[in-house]
Amino acid sequence: MKPVTLWLAAGLILAALICASVLIGAASLFSGDVDGGLLIAVSRLPRTLAALLAGAGLALAGVVVQMAVQNRLVEPGLVGTPEAAMLGLLAVTLIAPGASMMVKMSVAAAAALVGTLCFMALARHVPRRDPVLLPLVGLIYGGILGAAALWVAWTTDLVQYLGTWMSGEFSGVLAGRYELLWIVAVLAPLLYLAADRITLLGLGEDAARSLGLNYRQTLLAGLLLVAIITAAVVVTVGAIPFVGLVVPNIISRLRGDNLRRNLPLTAWLGASAVLACDILGRLIRWPYEIPAGTIFAVFGAGVFLWLLNAAPRRAHA
Amino acid sequence: MKSIGIVQPDSEPQETPMNRLATLAALALTPAALAAQTVEIETYAGPVSVPQAPEKVVVLDIAAIDSLSALGVSIDAVPQFTPPAYLADVFASAQPVGSLFEPDFEAIASLGPSLIVAGGRSQAQVEPLSQIAPTVDMTIWEDVVGQGRARLEAYGKLFAREGKAAELVGELDAAVEGAKAAAEGKGDALILLVNGGKISAYGDDSRFGWLHSTLGLPEAYPDLTAETHGEAVSFEFVAEVNPDWILVIDRGAAIGQEGEAASAVLDTPLIAGTTAGQNGQIVYLESARLYIAGGGINSMLGTIGEVTEALEGAAASN
Repeated sequence: MKPVTLWLAAGLILAALICASVLIGAASLFSGDVDGGLLIAVSRLPRTLAALLAGAGLALAGVVVQMAVQNRLVEPGLVGTPEAAMLGLLAVTLIAPGASMMVKMSVAAAAALVGTLCFMALARHVPRRDPVLLPLVGLIYGGILGAAALWVAWTTDLVQYLGTWMSGEFSGVLAGRYELLWIVAVLAPLLYLAADRITLLGLGEDAARSLGLNYRQTLLAGLLLVAIITAAVVVTVGAIPFVGLVVPNIISRLRGDNLRRNLPLTAWLGASAVLACDILGRLIRWPYEIPAGTIFAVFGAGVFLWLLNAAPRRAHA
Repeated sequence: MKSIGIVQPDSEPQETPMNRLATLAALALTPAALAAQTVEIETYAGPVSVPQAPEKVVVLDIAAIDSLSALGVSIDAVPQFTPPAYLADVFASAQPVGSLFEPDFEAIASLGPSLIVAGGRSQAQVEPLSQIAPTVDMTIWEDVVGQGRARLEAYGKLFAREGKAAELVGELDAAVEGAKAAAEGKGDALILLVNGGKISAYGDDSRFGWLHSTLGLPEAYPDLTAETHGEAVSFEFVAEVNPDWILVIDRGAAIGQEGEAASAVLDTPLIAGTTAGQNGQIVYLESARLYIAGGGINSMLGTIGEVTEALEGAAASN
């Protein structure tokens, strides 16, 4: 497909999804007692933007993690970031339950950052010869943090509370409650600037170093981006599994690994897919809600399985 | 992390003939049941005979602890659990024996109880517990107030405190009548559970449905289907339904900060724009009591009192 046609199609699909998202919801825009303008400003638009930002952010974070650990079957959830964010949220809920949403979000983001930095410190000591080792370490590390979060929640009767952060959904999104996600919009251009370096990361430490890349610094910067994005998503809408795994894989299967060329498309696919899942979740049991994360897991897993079995079509590698 | 999904504190109770048989069989085989004078009481699993006025009692259900302590029955062992504030004394003076879901069987056995009261969250343990001592399943489920009253009467019979039980039942009936009278012409209500920034709505056939059905408070959205855990809804949904009253249950408030977090979550123009929001008719219920000890006599009297007080404070709206 020619780039112009491709971007035109992508733009049209995105525009259609945004229109649908603004028009569809539990309340009626035109006939109800609720003021339509208020509804769009307070609920529909924030929700649409939150889905787009979360989707794009998770997809981009997925790319970085996959490049950093040179393993296509991992995603940000495997470096313990969501679990660390949950621990931070639990702590602030226990210590200052009345704190504002923004304070809670900030504490969780800080905790996620600390958690991810600890993982990176741990990663220093992991031999890099076997690329599966690092994700495995991350899996165990995330599991330990998750177990700690569960223990804290269990002893303080907050297990169901913890549950709301584990299922990503947008029903709670309103103006004033998702703005942390704009971090994604700030970080995405930075990622785009660093795309070539991140691509080099994907070649492995030795190759990257021999090409003149400051490997550790680039890795650190990349994982910091991942930590911030993942934390923002977890504290605002909850963890949405699979996005960081499925979307980069689909794009890479179709278009190869040139990040600078692929990043915008990856962000687009992540955003569109998550928004589409949220719209579906609003419609299936209208006027009730099904978490977008659940819908994405169902469709995403299906698409991913198909991808694993379909023959790759790499026109330009 | 997936395993969290299994730990729901309110799984559907299962009443199987096997359960019932096992309980009865265990009762028949226990020497204590033969020696002591027995009394037949109504339980979730049907009528069973148990020794009257048992001396050592283990109670593994919060609603039962509520009702038994209201009757003045001394409880020897309770689950390890952060109780609602009004039950703190009862919990402090009893021995903890494991969690609601996983009782410490050894500790219970070494206590040598003459009766174990289980049900609700500990219902799945009724059968294994009945190998230790006579165990009654006092689950309160479908009809909270009706079953709560029946359990209280059963406890009265069991511990020979029928007078006190009848008195409390009378108090309960009067409270329900008072609430019904207060609800007359005050409009409809929506029950919302607030949990970490997200909300779900509960209908009249849910675990909180008795607030509608027994107290005569009409549903603002009658189509709400039977869902133990409520239906996840958006703030838009509440705005569209536009209830006259919103009854708020704060799931996070189990840790003691009543209402604070829930009111922050509900602080949005969409909620403020509803009739409930404009008339100051958003009622924050004391959730630990309602959520955790639902069906206990003190729990019911307290919640009904809260609702009645709020309703009485408002002028008739339509």
